[in-house]
Amino acid sequence: MTPGKVVLDVEGLSKHFGGVQAVLDLSFQVREGEILGVIGPNGSGKTTTFHLITGFHRPDRGRVHFLGRHITGLAPHAVCALGLCRTFQVAKPFPDISVHRNVLMGALLRHPDPAAAGARANEVLERVGLDGRAQMAAGSLTTIDQRRLEVARALATEPKLLLLDETMAGLNPTEVGEAIRLISSLREQGLTVVVVEHVMRAVMSLSDRIVVLDQGSKIAEGSPSEIAANPRVIQAYLGKEYQGA
Amino acid sequence: MKRSLTPERYVPAGILLFLLVLPYLLPNPFYVHIVVMMAIFAILGGAWNIISGYAGQLSLGHAAFFGTGAYVSTLLVNATGTSPWITIWLGGVVALVLSLPMGFICFRLQGPYFTIATIGLAEALRLLVLHFREITNGAQGLTVPYKGNAPWLLQFDSKMPYYYIALALAIAVLLLTRRMERSRLGHYLVAIGQNQDAAEALGIDSARAKRRALMLSAFLTGMAGVFYAQYTYVIHPDGAFGLGLSIQIALVAIVGGVGTILGPAIGAVILELFIQSTQILFAGQYPGLELMVYGALLVGIILWRPRGVFPLFQRGYRALVAWLPAAGRAGP
Repeated sequence: MTPGKVVLDVEGLSKHFGGVQAVLDLSFQVREGEILGVIGPNGSGKTTTFHLITGFHRPDRGRVHFLGRHITGLAPHAVCALGLCRTFQVAKPFPDISVHRNVLMGALLRHPDPAAAGARANEVLERVGLDGRAQMAAGSLTTIDQRRLEVARALATEPKLLLLDETMAGLNPTEVGEAIRLISSLREQGLTVVVVEHVMRAVMSLSDRIVVLDQGSKIAEGSPSEIAANPRVIQAYLGKEYQGA
Repeated sequence: MKRSLTPERYVPAGILLFLLVLPYLLPNPFYVHIVVMMAIFAILGGAWNIISGYAGQLSLGHAAFFGTGAYVSTLLVNATGTSPWITIWLGGVVALVLSLPMGFICFRLQGPYFTIATIGLAEALRLLVLHFREITNGAQGLTVPYKGNAPWLLQFDSKMPYYYIALALAIAVLLLTRRMERSRLGHYLVAIGQNQDAAEALGIDSARAKRRALMLSAFLTGMAGVFYAQYTYVIHPDGAFGLGLSIQIALVAIVGGVGTILGPAIGAVILELFIQSTQILFAGQYPGLELMVYGALLVGIILWRPRGVFPLFQRGYRALVAWLPAAGRAGP
């Protein structure tokens, strides 16, 4: 595929918590229309990177540009309003209200009239396959449906760039297959996506490019086949059993 | 074509009619006083419910806004002879202005800071009012000079007009809450109350939404303070700014059902009935017994009905509406 223009530009991002260096001098770019995979062992700084990009944490150093705009230090809601929306690794539904109203909350960003936002929420629910559970309380959904809801709410804000944080953790193989199809369909509709994921089958099949983190730093970047063959990645992340693959 | 009179229409109309004739059904002014207090607490609980119920930001210092309204109005009425019909708006506005720094400072943070700040604000105001006694008359409080039947000064011989004014204000708060609940702000407050991080991630400016809710809540509470001062003719710092009042405002909404339109009004009726009946039943026998019974009731409600009694009322009301026939057809 032809490389599109740079949507997200992360330059020299660093963050420490007390004595722990969570992210160190991290730089990468996301191009329009691609799916970028971010992988790395537990504690390698993937989720912190999402927090830094979307304004939930303030970086110690470094800059983030989104669509050419400097967004470092903006509040999370302002980042989302610009078209950069993220989901949470641990789903954060609004538990006591209906699935439909959960999604409506996201749709209100672009459709201030609650009736219009409600109609938009119905479209999004159908797209992620949650339309049958629209009236259930969000807190009573199963794990996969809570993940679907996370994605649905984020889609309802009509983002240009979507950051998905371990959307597939804890799903069974069939559910992973469904999730892969959903995310591929998002790209087909013109969305740019960054996925943080532990499920290798998903990352390898979805991603156009992959960034590998280890202990807060980028140790490799490339196409899935390049990453799978990179000795440093195999050593740091995939483990010895992959070396023969 | 004749419009059919369904229970959905005539039951609310019947309730409204009942509220309009209620003071005439009561045997003496003491009972009218009780229903006026119910209406005042319905206003206060409803105002509290906007920031603490819908938006989930617990205030235990709403007396700060109540006392501010009461003192600003009474000082103005006494010094300049301004009509309370004007000062009721000013009292609300001053309470709103007082809420602005609170909102700007506290809503940048999550956690218990807002609750602590509300308690601190009310207590600081109480001490200020006690301290500046040349202006505020200190612990003795302020009185509204009695002018007899003077409607322009919001003074009446009978308790009836107070009842109707309080009822109108309470209904206005209900209608305002309903309108807010259906607006974008109302949805945003619910989202914030459910999970603030998730709300922020969806583009909701949580600090701004909470500031707006607090402004509205403070304004209505300030108005209620002005009305209360006019109704009782006397205000003093411990009553108007006290923690006891703040807690009672919160309890009205909690007992009734937080985050619902009608919950605080139902809670106000139940709590006031309970306070009065325990006083009548137990006062003079064992000192303090009525407070123990009152406390036991609150513990019971919070244990067994943590979402308040509103869901029970809702079920009962729906059953009633379903059971009642449409008017015009043959009755049962």
